[in-house]
Amino acid sequence: MIIETLFFALVYLFLVFEKTYSILGILASIILLSILINKIDQLNSFLRTSFSKHKKLAVLYGAIFVVGLPLLLRNYPYQIFIIFNAGLFALLALGLNWQIGSTNIVNFATGASFATGAYTSALLAKHTGLPFWILLPIGGLAAAGIGFILGLPCMKTKTYYLSLVTIAFTLIVYLLLNNLNWTGGPDGISDIPFPKIGDYSFGSPIRVFGLEIPFQANFYYLTILLVLVTFIVDRRLRYSRIGLAWNAIRSDEIAAECQGIDVTYSKVLSFCLNFFFDGVAGTVFAFCMSHISPESFTFNVSVTVVAIVIVGGLDNAVGVLFGSLLMTVIPEKLQVFQDYRMLIFGFLILMMLLLRPKGLFPQTVRKYE
Amino acid sequence: MALDNQPILFTEDLTIAFGGLRAVDHVDFHIDKGETVGLIGPNGSGKTTFFNLITGVYRPDEGKIIFEGENVIGERPHQIARRGISRTFQNSRLFMDISALDNVLIGMYRKQKTNLWDTLFWYRRVKSELREGAKKAMDLLAFFSGELKENCSKIVADLPYADRKRVEICRALAADPKLLLLDEPTGGMSPEETEELLDDIGKVKEKNREITIIIIEHDMSVIGRVADRVYVFNYGMKIAEGPFSTISRDQKVIEAYLGEETEDAEA
Repeated sequence: MIIETLFFALVYLFLVFEKTYSILGILASIILLSILINKIDQLNSFLRTSFSKHKKLAVLYGAIFVVGLPLLLRNYPYQIFIIFNAGLFALLALGLNWQIGSTNIVNFATGASFATGAYTSALLAKHTGLPFWILLPIGGLAAAGIGFILGLPCMKTKTYYLSLVTIAFTLIVYLLLNNLNWTGGPDGISDIPFPKIGDYSFGSPIRVFGLEIPFQANFYYLTILLVLVTFIVDRRLRYSRIGLAWNAIRSDEIAAECQGIDVTYSKVLSFCLNFFFDGVAGTVFAFCMSHISPESFTFNVSVTVVAIVIVGGLDNAVGVLFGSLLMTVIPEKLQVFQDYRMLIFGFLILMMLLLRPKGLFPQTVRKYE
Repeated sequence: MALDNQPILFTEDLTIAFGGLRAVDHVDFHIDKGETVGLIGPNGSGKTTFFNLITGVYRPDEGKIIFEGENVIGERPHQIARRGISRTFQNSRLFMDISALDNVLIGMYRKQKTNLWDTLFWYRRVKSELREGAKKAMDLLAFFSGELKENCSKIVADLPYADRKRVEICRALAADPKLLLLDEPTGGMSPEETEELLDDIGKVKEKNREITIIIIEHDMSVIGRVADRVYVFNYGMKIAEGPFSTISRDQKVIEAYLGEETEDAEA
């Protein structure tokens, strides 16, 4: 409990503080903590056992914190946007984990799938006026369709070449978005309306307990809900024929095929499922920003999500969630350092790879009761 | 031991060449349901390639493969696996980074029924199918060794060599195959481990009297004990066929092995 409180306090402080020294201080303490946890086995196992003993309580406590965070941050609208962003990346990364972590398909096309969801829903909103809630799954399905189109030719390629194909795909999509007229070109699409539930618009701030929370919190809560759904889907996939088949393919495709697994189907499925959630995330993004342009969907997005999965933990959903928090919040805060930002970021990734190459939370063994 | 009038598997003129080299050269082969047939020959004589052809990993240049009366050439490995053909691999191609239990569970993949829709929306079905499968997998592991069952949650890479071989056989048996292809199951094993494996094979045959087995081996004592008939390959061609006692005295067979390790060809 105490440790959780400490952790949450760290997160809050880190989000809020602006001054250079405090950020450095918090970063340093996080790194120190991680090193300690890594090196001192007793600390490690103590954490593990105390977590599993008080699992329900810990989860409840975490849930309260997650829900209450915007309330704490009600005077810092930009910080609420940061955690909303973290949630979006968590959506992207959870899906990508099915490909990189479970199936060993290193897919760099998240920028493209994210864009597909965003643009599809934005264009449909402008031309047909369909409500957000219908566009949400449509954005996902459109991206899944793109996943199918990308997935099939990828079946002809292996590992590194497959990654190259996905990189090329992302770049092509970006160029198309930038140059086609009906996607708005470099100006993109503007004036996307806020989602509504009945009369309540997502553009209005939340009023609770007499306090006012900025409107970004609406999107934050929506995203958290979606992350929860995706997390459940991840767990179900992992404990199913599909997840097992993915792991088999990751180890040895031929042996997997000889077990009766249709490898092509499984791989294309991983593309479609991953891209569906990317598309959903893209839709949420478009409707929060009200304006989208190709600049938000560059190759950098793909790289960030890949980094999240690798740093957070391959084939481990909790690790990925943690990683998305880490990798979205830290760059935001490091803007204070301006010129040194990328240097520090790179240094952090290097440290990660040296200390814990399997990711912060490596894959666990399946348990059947 | 033919229980039907047609062999469960036969090949005719089966041929495949890689570049200019004929790896399998016009091989005629047949095996009846319930038989155990041995396949021996020097290294590089095409035995594993023969397995790869039957399981659809390679596509032959010429010839026929008929399983249960149907031509299976052109089918992909997963389709052939679903017909009831299982195999093990010479260098033990297990899924190394997951548990032994998961490996055996994956062996049941082709018999299981749940799909994406079930996983997303009717998860209870998936859960019970997995539970049943896990139980069956543990029973299968226990059938070979109680210790293996205890260690079923260990990552396969952490298991000793002989246990890994056992896990692979369990994985192959998990889907109740009609035809089991064993590729050098005693490779790298000590005499004691080989003896245990022989017992294991015996247990399998007792439990499932209709199972048909083709076994590639270099250890002649194993072949002598389990095989009803033996085929001998050399340079991709069948050079002898018959009961072990006969082929072990065949001049061509002895010559094929000369220059390799001089095996004692008498049972």
